[in-house]
Amino acid sequence: MESVHDFIKKVKNGEIDIVEHTYKLIEECKEINKEYNYLNTISEELALNSASEIKIQVKQNKNIKNKKLLGVAVSAKDAICVRDVETTAGSKILQSYRPLFDAFVIQRVKEEGAIIIGKTSQDEFGFGGFSVNVGKGFKIPKNPFDSERSCGGSSGGAAGLTQKLSSHIALGESTGGSIVEPASFCGVYGLCPTYGRVSRYGLIDFSNSMDKIGSMGKTIEDAALLMNVISGYDKKDSTSLNIKNDDYEKYLKKSVKGMKIGIIKEAFGAGVDREAENNVCPGIEELEEEGAKAEEISLELPIKYGIATYYMIAASEASTNLAKFCGMRYGAVEKLEGSFNEYFTKVRSNNFGDEAKRRIMLGTFARMAGYRDAFYLKAMKVRTLMINEYKKAFKKFDALISPTASILPPKFEDIEKLTPLQHYMIDIMTVSPNVAGLPHLNVPVGFEKNLPIGMLLIADHLQEGKLIQLGSAIEKGK
Amino acid sequence: MKRFTSDIVIGLEIHAELDTKTKLFCSCPTKGNEEPNSRTCVTCLGMPGSKPVLNKKAVEFALKLCLALNCEVSPELVFSRKSYFYPDMAKNYQISQYEMPLGKNGSLRLRDSKEIDITRVHMEEDPASLVHPAGLKESAYVLVDYNRSGNQLVEIVTEPDLASPDEARDFMKQLITVLNYLEIFDINEGIIKADANVSIRESDYARVEIKNITGFKEIERALMYEVSRQQDEIRHHKKIEQETRAWDSEKGVTFTLRKKETEEDYGYIIDTDLTAVEITGKLVREIKNEMPELAQDKVRKFVEKHRIKKEDAEIIAAEKELAEMFEKVAEEINPILAAKWLRRELVRVLNYNKKELHEVKIDEKHMIDLLKLVENKKITDNVASKILEKLIEKPFDIKEYVKKERLEAVSDVSELEKYCREAIEENPKAVEDYKKGEKKALNFIVGSVMKKTRGKATPKEVNEIILRLIK
Amino acid sequence: MEVDRKLLEHVAEVARIKLNDGEIKKFLPQLKEILEFFSKLKDINTDNVKPSFQPVELKNAMREDNEGQCLSQDDALSLTEHKKDAYFKGPKAV
Repeated sequence: MESVHDFIKKVKNGEIDIVEHTYKLIEECKEINKEYNYLNTISEELALNSASEIKIQVKQNKNIKNKKLLGVAVSAKDAICVRDVETTAGSKILQSYRPLFDAFVIQRVKEEGAIIIGKTSQDEFGFGGFSVNVGKGFKIPKNPFDSERSCGGSSGGAAGLTQKLSSHIALGESTGGSIVEPASFCGVYGLCPTYGRVSRYGLIDFSNSMDKIGSMGKTIEDAALLMNVISGYDKKDSTSLNIKNDDYEKYLKKSVKGMKIGIIKEAFGAGVDREAENNVCPGIEELEEEGAKAEEISLELPIKYGIATYYMIAASEASTNLAKFCGMRYGAVEKLEGSFNEYFTKVRSNNFGDEAKRRIMLGTFARMAGYRDAFYLKAMKVRTLMINEYKKAFKKFDALISPTASILPPKFEDIEKLTPLQHYMIDIMTVSPNVAGLPHLNVPVGFEKNLPIGMLLIADHLQEGKLIQLGSAIEKGK
Repeated sequence: MKRFTSDIVIGLEIHAELDTKTKLFCSCPTKGNEEPNSRTCVTCLGMPGSKPVLNKKAVEFALKLCLALNCEVSPELVFSRKSYFYPDMAKNYQISQYEMPLGKNGSLRLRDSKEIDITRVHMEEDPASLVHPAGLKESAYVLVDYNRSGNQLVEIVTEPDLASPDEARDFMKQLITVLNYLEIFDINEGIIKADANVSIRESDYARVEIKNITGFKEIERALMYEVSRQQDEIRHHKKIEQETRAWDSEKGVTFTLRKKETEEDYGYIIDTDLTAVEITGKLVREIKNEMPELAQDKVRKFVEKHRIKKEDAEIIAAEKELAEMFEKVAEEINPILAAKWLRRELVRVLNYNKKELHEVKIDEKHMIDLLKLVENKKITDNVASKILEKLIEKPFDIKEYVKKERLEAVSDVSELEKYCREAIEENPKAVEDYKKGEKKALNFIVGSVMKKTRGKATPKEVNEIILRLIK
Repeated sequence: MEVDRKLLEHVAEVARIKLNDGEIKKFLPQLKEILEFFSKLKDINTDNVKPSFQPVELKNAMREDNEGQCLSQDDALSLTEHKKDAYFKGPKAV
């Protein structure tokens, strides 16, 4: 497989005609989309314009030397604003919304010469783990290895496209595991950074205290490269961390000798599909062979209470974020009649999907006087305890390990049988690191019944480098 | 709950716009282009993907106010989302403060020294402004202008300590004085609005809330109307219901907006798009050091340095512009004379014209010119007052005006004597009456002289001359 | 805590969503199940525990009071058909 670095070299020296390449890529996207529905929008015009510009720059040999993503195709999860390109977060209520501005991450990848090829499909506003909760009128993306099965969610389109499209890196977004879980289902790398490491400016909010934009790639190098471009302080996002940038690529070939990894005891065994575990153990052995030391650790609180804590925080914040969608200024409208209560109710009832409605109900309830302390505030306190428990573990370990998903990618017909709560429970491995704002990485570690399996690596705040170090050691061993 | 004792119980929630260049959470200008929707960005339009960033200056201003109102200052500034749906809301939640207001348990004194307790002072963003093309109830739709959306407000909530519409007006006035002294409020363009809760003894203090009263002159009108409406209802054996009403300033009436069955549930949560701001002791000290002199400081200074009466000092200090004018005038004019003219004549003329000092163009230069002439007896008090009345309408050069209109005081005794002789000759009956013991008759002759001199003589002097001549 | 039809309808009204009969029948048992499960949070002792509103320590994010670029009036109004005379149009306010 050609690495992105080699590709960029060829673009720079003119070996690849970037315009021709982009045309082909768009055709490929359209072809893939026919069967798999990974893209809500293919930004053909924007992509071709960028390609033409790059072609001229290459000819004139101007401004291209230090471009980290010159000519590289980058897709963005549909919740990430791209100027003048329809950005819906997978919801009918935002159909035809063409943002007047670029998200910080889009601005960054454009500056580095990337070509934005489109907006990837997702659960409506990120509300799901299988990308089946798409908004009204949207198509459900399918697993690249078996189109009867889910590609995971909510960044499902991003993960599937990363697996299927020849050369491309994806911008995903995670609130409760929406980068690593679809990455695991689609057999690609997914890197979710520390909360605040990457600016959320231009990301359509789901849960403001948990949303994180991250990178997804076929290789750990791709994921690290994109992370290098998008991380960093942004004064337009008040929660952006004002700290020195790390160079993630330098961790790629670094030895893992002496690193300590904690195997989360509760993540193996009861409640976890044996098949999902299978290939994780050889992955751990791989790391041990490279000189890392593995030991078991118990993390009861995150596994036992993670789901409840996560969903209470997420739904409370989401229900306020979704209040702005009411048929004024942008997005879906209805005929302007009746009182404001009648009009807003009509717009919202007609355009939100079922899961969005459920989450709005849950969140509105959790914020109500009388319930607020028992649900919303309680969850915020449990979050403190959870962070403390992780911090204690990271005094001893460089990273924690579990399977990324507790099941193999399920069939759509089986998903339909799940109640919403059972659906939520599938996120059991991934919600807690998200609640605690910890960086985490999915590493593809093999196949079971021809379906990919992923290993989840979790590190302390700002220790993305360690994840890359460990991830690349496993990649090397494959 | 407080046990109410007064006949009328009023509490205020006042919103004042801080005088910053930009809005509270985005860098759109707060003034300038008045074209609708010309001062907006993705943040104050509530566009998906936009994020708020707090204006530091607004925090400093709000802190100044908390300190000036003797509030306990919170160790942390935290913003919450107050959720409710309305067409003027950009996000259907307002970024406001809930559990921990920036300031609490403060107070402010009315002009009669009554202390009004302040429950809380907090920061929040303003909604957009609505235009109802055919009136609030009749319009089929609203027009929305987001120029105001996201503007930087402080909300000041009082205890229900105010016992009359007049006290409410005075509270607003005193608050504006503080805001003005602190230089955190644009007295000419800044918006100050109030919601008031009003109840009366006869209804067992059933609480009625009046929304949206703009400016301190309106507050008394609105409350006077509402109090008498409630009293009338009671007289007609109707029950006062707990409800929310709106003030229609044009018609001069309040009308029902909604009957409240339960308190509205705003579902407050912390706004995690923003971070907490630490209000450290160091920051508070820095803000304190930057604080300008307040009215009380001025009073003390005027009494100690300029030796004017405390009563005069208080009236002058109650208005920042007047106080500043006094300080400058007192450098050139005898402070006692200056105080007398500023607090009596200037205030009288302003009141007569229903104007505030900042609304007219009289400055300290005018007052110095005018009072110099008075001090040196170049013009009489009478003439000076008349000049002041004219100055309110339109400023002009006083010295030139006096010369042109020949208003210099007639102080030449021989010239005055000439006018007096004429008056005595023309009014023999009055002279006779006076001699018979009718003291009042003298005033008539003096008046006649004043008329002849067009007020340019001092009555006292004229009086003496006439007495001397008819003896 | 009793999650019943009345409560669900109240919450929906607060959130400005109208649930039809089918939706209520579907959502009610689902939300009941979820909230019952989430109630187990009360088993955790959080006495004297401070809430973490954000997962990492963040504070004092502010900007200077400097004017930035506004949107043009046309751009601001460009994303909706509900507009008139440079104003946005919204539903009546009462």
